[in-house]
Amino acid sequence: MAFDWDIFWGALTSQAFVQGALLTIALAAVSQAAAIVLGLGVALLRRSGAAPLRGAAATYVWLFRAIPTLLQLLFVWNALPQLVPSLRDPWFTPFMAAFLALAINESAYMAEIIRSGLGAVDRGQVLAGKTLGLRDTQIFRLIVLPQMIRVIIPPTGNEFITLLKLTSLASVISLRELLTVTSQTVAVNFRFAELYSAATVWYLVIVSIFMVLQVQLERRFHWTSEGRHEPMQTGVPAAAGALNR
Amino acid sequence: MTNGAREMIRADDLVKRYGRNDVLRGVSLEVERGQVKVIVGPSGSGKSTLLRCLALLEPIESGHILLDGEQVAGTGTTLRDRQLAPYRSQVCMVFQHFNLFPHMTALENVMVGPVNVRGVSKAHARAEAMDLLTRVRLADKAHRYPSELSGGQQQRVAIARALAVRPKVMLFDEPTSALDPELVREVVDVMEELAADGMTMIVVSHEMRFANEAADSIVMMDDGRVIEEAPPDRFFKNPAHERTRQFLQMVER
Repeated sequence: MAFDWDIFWGALTSQAFVQGALLTIALAAVSQAAAIVLGLGVALLRRSGAAPLRGAAATYVWLFRAIPTLLQLLFVWNALPQLVPSLRDPWFTPFMAAFLALAINESAYMAEIIRSGLGAVDRGQVLAGKTLGLRDTQIFRLIVLPQMIRVIIPPTGNEFITLLKLTSLASVISLRELLTVTSQTVAVNFRFAELYSAATVWYLVIVSIFMVLQVQLERRFHWTSEGRHEPMQTGVPAAAGALNR
Repeated sequence: MTNGAREMIRADDLVKRYGRNDVLRGVSLEVERGQVKVIVGPSGSGKSTLLRCLALLEPIESGHILLDGEQVAGTGTTLRDRQLAPYRSQVCMVFQHFNLFPHMTALENVMVGPVNVRGVSKAHARAEAMDLLTRVRLADKAHRYPSELSGGQQQRVAIARALAVRPKVMLFDEPTSALDPELVREVVDVMEELAADGMTMIVVSHEMRFANEAADSIVMMDDGRVIEEAPPDRFFKNPAHERTRQFLQMVER
């Protein structure tokens, strides 16, 4: 059976595949965003002065890194609605379940990445902020955060690519993401090579787009005046956002 | 206040411990408005710790710190750490390793204090910052990032950044010891100009030329205590303490 380019092309451009790919991107993006926010909270707790808070944060990281992602997904989709009646309502879709499971799972990893990012900011930066009379919240927002973000971009990019592929696990809870669509189509026409290739191309395209975006983002956090004409005129670069009150 | 109007910052019997290690064992110091005091002493004598306590960056175990007649730290104060922020900008510190914010240009480094602490408009802060950068002879580097500046230039930006919050006292913690020898002069020049303009300064430094030319008095610290204080000519020519003589021999060699 020769590789049928028409079937491959047809699948690649089919509405089902395009929608599956968009769902994959959307799930990964919202999960990653939530994971960054949650992870920041957990990382800050891990650096807190209060031992119980540090302990709770460490337990969170331990728990959600230890349990397999697939098991977390199945737990959220199948077990949680048995324990929490309100999760049996229609709003609790496979997408919501996958979002919840992936965001929590990913936040445990992000917490560690952000913790190392916070640790990488020189203590002298905080002292310099203090001696100028900045308040602690200002020091965090204006000084620590931008420097932390620069450090965590590459590992967070790694995490995001991993998460993009982890969304394929949601096929087990019938979310119609890219891999689910592929499997369902294969079950009809048995054209494995063509359809798996089409799915592969979509994953490659998605990852490539985000790699380009990451390069752009890293450039914004590369703090030299080369090739940056706008700050020469305005005096305030958007990336630092440093002076926005 | 015993001698009110002229006294800008005073420390009474400061005690500071790190764990069981007594770093300051009862240090008293008084600096009048417009005075320049240089603190010298061997490594580990407590100079930098004293400066950090005066800058309100470190809590003290006992004693008092009075800033312009108001007690801001020590036994009996009710000020909490959060309430210290407005006072910290009045005793602004310049660090050995500059600690410029790497994600901001020189101009933004100087603007960040006025905009966020004093609540000045950005346009006004920018004009002020340009003036200050001009004063430290770095107007042409205003849009450069710290990584693009030499150590001496970075330290001059740091001085401009401190000036921008309009401190009553400036504290310098070994401001030239991280610099290549040929860059020391440009920083010392700026500091001497500040001194001549009447800035109240406390400078931890072994830059003896600055001490000799700009200091009103020199304080010798050893083992967490002030052991001697004298005007420069007496301090260098006729130190009272044997420990000071030994130290001067080491430094001047």
